[in-house]
Formats: sequence, structure tokens, C-alpha cells
Amino acid sequence: MRILVIEDEPDLLAGLARSLREEGYAVDTAQDGEDGLLKALDVNYDAVVLDVMLPRLDGWEVLRRLRQHKKTPVLLLTARDKTTDRVRGLDSGADDYLVKPFDLSELLARLRALIRRSASEARSVIDLGAVQVDTAARIVTRDAVPVVLTAREYALVEYLALHHGDVVTRTTLYEHLFDETDDSLSNLLDVHVSNVRKKLGPDFIATRRGHGYSIEA
Amino acid sequence: MRFPRSIRWRLQLWYGALLVTVLCGFGFTAYHLEKSRRLRRIDEGLHSRLSLIVDGLRAGPERSGEKRRPPELRLTPEQASLFGGAEGYYYVIWMQAPQPIQISSAAPKAVPKPGAREEQLRVRGEFRETLLFAAPVNCVLVGRSIATENAELRNFGGALIAIGAAVLAAGLVGGWWLVTRALQPIGEIGAAAARIAEGDLSQRIENGDSQSELGQLANVLNTTFGRLEALFAQQANFTADAAHELRTPVTVILTQTQSALTRERSEEEYRETIEACQRAAQRMRRLIESLMELARLDAGQEPFHLEKCDLVKVVRDCVGLMHPLAAARKIAIEEEYSAAVCRGDAERLAQVVTNLLSNAIEYNQEGGKVWVSTHSKEGMAMVKVRNTGAGIDAADLPHVFDRFHRGDKARTASGHSGLGLAIVQAIVHAHGGSLNVESEVETGTFFVAKFHAEEP
Repeated sequence: MRILVIEDEPDLLAGLARSLREEGYAVDTAQDGEDGLLKALDVNYDAVVLDVMLPRLDGWEVLRRLRQHKKTPVLLLTARDKTTDRVRGLDSGADDYLVKPFDLSELLARLRALIRRSASEARSVIDLGAVQVDTAARIVTRDAVPVVLTAREYALVEYLALHHGDVVTRTTLYEHLFDETDDSLSNLLDVHVSNVRKKLGPDFIATRRGHGYSIEA
Repeated sequence: MRFPRSIRWRLQLWYGALLVTVLCGFGFTAYHLEKSRRLRRIDEGLHSRLSLIVDGLRAGPERSGEKRRPPELRLTPEQASLFGGAEGYYYVIWMQAPQPIQISSAAPKAVPKPGAREEQLRVRGEFRETLLFAAPVNCVLVGRSIATENAELRNFGGALIAIGAAVLAAGLVGGWWLVTRALQPIGEIGAAAARIAEGDLSQRIENGDSQSELGQLANVLNTTFGRLEALFAQQANFTADAAHELRTPVTVILTQTQSALTRERSEEEYRETIEACQRAAQRMRRLIESLMELARLDAGQEPFHLEKCDLVKVVRDCVGLMHPLAAARKIAIEEEYSAAVCRGDAERLAQVVTNLLSNAIEYNQEGGKVWVSTHSKEGMAMVKVRNTGAGIDAADLPHVFDRFHRGDKARTASGHSGLGLAIVQAIVHAHGGSLNVESEVETGTFFVAKFHAEEP
């Protein structure tokens, strides 16, 4: 899962990015509205965390321009807690709304819910036969036994599980699993796929040669 | 009794009492004028007839020989017709004896002979009589019934009372209507004030007539209510803004600490977290200090040590302190001084100048310029600060001194609370001075602080 955080307060941005990365997300950051909008239009993020008060372009404007092109789920962060502000936020295309100050755990839960909803998955546990992916607890079990995965490996499994039945291209996987600081030309993806196969069974992830990877429903 | 306490009832009572007094006076006077007019007419009739009788008695033949015989009354038929008839005049003539010697036909029964000391005019029941003790007889009396006149006067009195009562009733009804009309705005004012007291500050008094005294009162009250509402709104905004400004640093602390506590961290990471928290806390402290300072300035509690103050020295000291900041941004400060002395608190004036200078440096392009100057003109001592910054939008210019106003609607990492210029303005105003700003986008911004000049 790849997330863009647009926030101008550097300490808040750093704290959010660190937490999200530790949760296994690939995280891009932007410190002002213009930069944020450029990145959000350029990359297909799984979610955008958008502060309302931003220099250059404010959050409303970023949201408005982004919505002209993309449906990326957006979580608005704002210090205003009037009902009118919340209504305005949701009406102008935000998918969720969080008032500062918030608890980190709530932000993470809302992001998970956003991503799940955008993949049309209502429940937090995805059942793939022998393997079950609990996106709330971030645990993968095989025959009811928890399997230890690294954050990246989990992210790979979760992304394929959320899109199970579909073929996911290598490019898409790169886009959603690695952030702007990673070297996307490396063969990291092959390493992760091979590790997941070792842990969850050789047939868990199928290779569609020339197309990409998929998990059968 | 409760009702006389209401203005309406009190006015009505006074009004009624006044009306009754006036009507009574009028009625009484009219009744008596009418009565005396009628009596005078009757008395004139009586007197003329009395002299007729007396003359008629004296006109009789001289009968000196028969001294004991009573004199004869001679009246022409014309004169005789003056007695009796519709008006019922009568006469009675006495000699020494109490039995009259002659009585006219219209006379009532048993007219008593008047005593020697009786008045010339007497009223006996329904009869009015005039009398004369004169020779050749002992006493002559002429009278008539005044029953008709009395009845007419009673009718007249009754009519007066009826008219008076009607006028009083009409007056009271009219008075009630007038008082109600006059007091109506008071009721509206009261109702509006009650609605405002319930918390709806947007309520106003409906005021049709702005010329009357109550209309003017309503206008004054409406203005007051408007000002109150604006003040409350400003206060509410200010509180919301202050809370809003505190939210971001609190969010930083929460996010940083919650993130750090999810697992074991290296010493380096803990240090970074603590530093971030410290920065957030510093920011909150600056905000709280600014808020407190503004609150004290607003309440007029900030102590000022007013004394003769050389603005040249104040500005020169401030510029000296600003040089490192300017040098870091490669900004040149050009100074130009001519004498400017005012009455003020040197420390507070330095705060004003420092704030203007740091703004001029901060919102400037790298390698830009800041001009600072002092001079006196037309009784005002001035400090001017100009820079080569990006300038301020015309739309934002009227709001630069607003609390928590910031040019691009966003927090800046520099940690400005958005209260700096508001505080500067409050200090200048507390000195009785004025602070003005002019700006042109892409050219720069120009602040002028003016104070009342003192003799150097």
C-alpha cells in the first residue's frame, strides 16, 4: 500500500511518515499543496492524507483539482471541528475526515478502512481458502496458524489479497509497495514474492508470465 | 394594588383626574352663568312690576278726609295684563294688619306678610318675590313662580353632566389609545431585549418611527446590540482561533509520542521525538504568551512606563540586534535618521520596531533590502519600515492586523503565531499612536508607526 502524506508541519509529517512506514506502507511526503497535488496526480496512491491548511495551495483546492482526475481515497486532516467544515470536507470529495488533535491509532484504523473500502472489501478479514489475511490486525494465518511476514511481505500479500482474482502487473505492485525513496529498478519485488511463496506455499501466488502476479480466489 | 404601578395606568389616572377637574370647572361656571342670567331677567321683571304697583297706588285720588281708608290701586288694562298670564306674576298689598288688603288673582294662597327687617328680595319655596315698604300702604310685594325656571335649570344641569360624562368617556378612551400607541415601542423594546437576554444576539428592535424619543432610544439600543453581537462574535472567533492554533502542536506531540512508544527505539530516535515535542511545546508557550499579552493589552492592564523617548536611539538599538538575522538572509538594512522624540515606553516601542523589522526581514527575498527611518512632521514622530518582499494582496491588506491572520492561510514552519502584528498595533494604540500599512505585490510592504511628538 502506498500512501501520500501532505502536511506542512515538519515534525508532524515526520511522525506520521515514520508510523505509516512501520505499519508496512510505502510513504511519500509533500510539505505544500502544489507539490502534494503534483505527486497525487502522478502516482496511483492507495490513499492520501491531506492537511487542510497548507501553503501555496490549500487542502480544499488540492482536493478539488485531484477529484477532477482521480478517485484516490483522501483522508482530510483539519484543526477545524465545526460541523460546517466537516460537511464541506466530505462534500468536496474527501472520503473521511479527522480533526486535530487525533490519536495515531485512529488515523491508522481509518486509513485501513479507506483502503479496504476502495478495494470493495467490506470486512477486515479476507478469506483465501487455507490462508486468511486480517487487515485490521495485520496478521496472515495459514490453516489457522499465524505466519510471520516482514512489513513489505505483508504489504505484498495484502495488496494481492485485496485484488484477489485479478492479475496485478509488476508496475502496479512497484507503484503500491515502494515509495519515492526506494530504487524501483531493483529486483526487490522478485525477492519478496519468492519469500512469500516459501512461507505460504509455492502456489499461493501465481505468476502470469508477461502480465504479473495473482492470487486465485 | 398592582395596576397603578404600570405607567399606562398612572398616565390614565392622571389624565382622567385632569379631565374631570377641567370639565367640572367648565360645567359649574356654565351652570351658574345660566342661572344668574335667568334670575336677573326675573328680577328685572319683578322690579319693573313693583314700581308699576307703587306708582298705581300713588296715582289714586287724595282722600285726606278718610285717612283710615286704604288707597285704591289703579292699573290700566295694559298694565294689568302684565300680571297673571303664562309667567304668573302676582302682587300682594298690605296695610299695617297682617291680612293683605289686595291680592292679585294669580297669587298663591296665604302669602305671609314680610317682617319689617326682611330683605328686599326673598325666595319662598318655588316663589321669588320682591317687596317694598312704602307709603301710602305699608308693604307691596310682587312675586312669581320660578318652578319652570328651576326645572329648566335642572334640565340644563343634567345636560351639562351628560355632556361632561360623554366628553370624559371619549377623553379616557382617546387617552388610552394615545398611551397605548405611545407605549407600544416600549413593549417592542422590552420584547427584543428579552429575546436577546435569552441568547439570540441577532435580534433587533423593529423601529418604524426613528424620529420620536422612543424611536431614538430604539436606534441607540439597536446600535448597542449590534456592537455587542460583533464583540461576542469576535470573542468567539478569537477563542476558536486560539484553540485551533493549539491543535497543531498538540497533534505533533501526540503523533510523535504515540509513534515512538509503539516499539523499542534507538537513543537517536528517542532524541528526535523529544526534540519534536520540545519544539511543539515551545510553540504553544509562544502562543500562550502572545495571547496573555494581548489579553492584558486589551484590558489595559499592561503597565507602561511613559517617559520622553528618543525614537532614533530605540530604532538604532533594534537594528543592531537584527543584523545577525538580516545577515543570515543576505539582507541589507539601510538606515536614515532625523530627530524624532515622543512620549512612550522605550521597551514597548523597541518591541514594536523589532517586530516590524523581523517581519520585513522574514517576508523578504534573499539578498533583498530593508529601509528603516525616523522623522518628525506636523507634530507626529514617525518610524517607517519598508522592504523588498513579495508584498501583501490587496484583499488581505485590511486584515494584516487581525488576530491569527496570515497571508497564505497556512501555518508556517517559522512558528509565527499570527498575533505579532496584532500585538504591535495594540501597543501603538496604547501609546495613542497609529499604525498604517501599504503594500504592492512583488514590490514590497511599507509600515508607518506614528506617535505624538515631544519637544526634544
